Amino acid sequence: MSSGKCAATVTAMLMLVGASLGAENIRKDLHFKVGKRPMISINNPYGPVLVKAGAAHEVVVTAILHSDRVELDQSKSHNRVDIVSHLLPGADPASGIVEYEILVPPDANLTLHSDNGRVRAEKLQGDLTVAANDGAIEVIDCAGGHVHVRTLNGMVSLNNVHGHVEIMSVGGDILMTGVTGTLVAVNSNSGKIEYEGDFAGDGEYAFTSHTGNIEAVAPAYASIDVLARSTNGIVQSDFSLEPKHAPFLVRGANSLSGTLGKAASSVKLFSFSGRIRLKKRQN
Amino acid sequence: MNCLQFENALSDYLEGAGSSEQQAHLSSCSACSSLLADLNLISAEASSLRESDGPAPHVWTALEAQLRREGLIREASRPLLPDFLLRWKTAWLVPVAAALLIAVGIKLYQAPRIGDNQPLAKNVVPRVPVAPVVSVDDKDILTTVASRPPAQVAAYRNDLDQANAFIRDAQESLKNDPNDIYSQQLLINAYEQKQMLYRLAVDQSDEQ
Repeated sequence: MSSGKCAATVTAMLMLVGASLGAENIRKDLHFKVGKRPMISINNPYGPVLVKAGAAHEVVVTAILHSDRVELDQSKSHNRVDIVSHLLPGADPASGIVEYEILVPPDANLTLHSDNGRVRAEKLQGDLTVAANDGAIEVIDCAGGHVHVRTLNGMVSLNNVHGHVEIMSVGGDILMTGVTGTLVAVNSNSGKIEYEGDFAGDGEYAFTSHTGNIEAVAPAYASIDVLARSTNGIVQSDFSLEPKHAPFLVRGANSLSGTLGKAASSVKLFSFSGRIRLKKRQN
Repeated sequence: MNCLQFENALSDYLEGAGSSEQQAHLSSCSACSSLLADLNLISAEASSLRESDGPAPHVWTALEAQLRREGLIREASRPLLPDFLLRWKTAWLVPVAAALLIAVGIKLYQAPRIGDNQPLAKNVVPRVPVAPVVSVDDKDILTTVASRPPAQVAAYRNDLDQANAFIRDAQESLKNDPNDIYSQQLLINAYEQKQMLYRLAVDQSDEQ
């Protein structure tokens, strides 16, 4: 066989394989007209869910189903849209994957659930609730709503988020950059908690863990009232805090209490055995 | 008097020169009274060391005679240690050991000073692993997830163990100070984690 014929045969085979693989994936496009502040719920056991702000009054869903062992159940009633990836008999974590890309009105309220897929929400202003097992969760450039995240072991990353934030994780690390609000509460077990920001907004920032380390990096101009204690760990601070009465005995290297600036925001860092560190941001 | 002042004057108290202020502090502070009880226990154990008897002299004599008969020891030209050192060794070894024990005990319990960044000595004592306790509810929930892939079940079991460990540790902290609102909050958080685990287990079972 000549080299030209050989190349043509290989190309044809590759095209056939590609076509057969492509045939397994099923694309679904859904459009919904909605009113102000619609409620949108996505429940996807396997696969990523990526949500972005789009046009007002319209929800656009693009879903790629990885096999015919999963189907989409959709319903719309009044101002509410529900989408569920319905696993059929024989579906497993590979064949049950559905990849979602969704455009929603910026003021939409969202409930997202994925067991092991990545969940990403971007540029939203409504309330956001995310529940996941192992997949990473990213919330970026969101403001004005409540952000509630629950995960077992997925990493949680919040970047430039303003509002009422509550995060709970068993083993997943929680990374927050530029997160502010009236309440920023993080409850972790073994996952580490990292915060980098200025604790603005006259808010209450409460980070607690069982064994996970807690590290908060703040600028020298931060205005905070700090209370930190690790029952069996170390507490360290780069700041020279103005001493303040604490509701418990502050002694040694496992607790501290003090204020910085006008103490506008309350910062409570509590752990059972994790290390707690309050670091000064180097400009 | 606060805890730090009490600890600074602790040696006076142990030598019997305690003040009424120290006594008053002890009666109101569980941490310091616990510290004192531990030090007294160490001291008592050290005293009992002093009282323990070694083998009787005739045992040593018989042993030496036996070793000489077997040619294992011969007359030394000079003793390896001077007489006074040998006497010092036998006479003072036990009291010195007792004193060292007390000193180590005090050092272990010495509260760190401001600026210390070292963990408390008691913090570095390795924790005895507690065998996970599986409650009836936990068994039920593990049964609920049992049909999932083995790796998921193992991960879920691990998460449940972590939540239970958190609950146990928070409860232990609360026992030490039942009125500490921050220990109460830790316990609430621990239970919330367990609630989340239960909810996620049930939610996913509904999906399948």
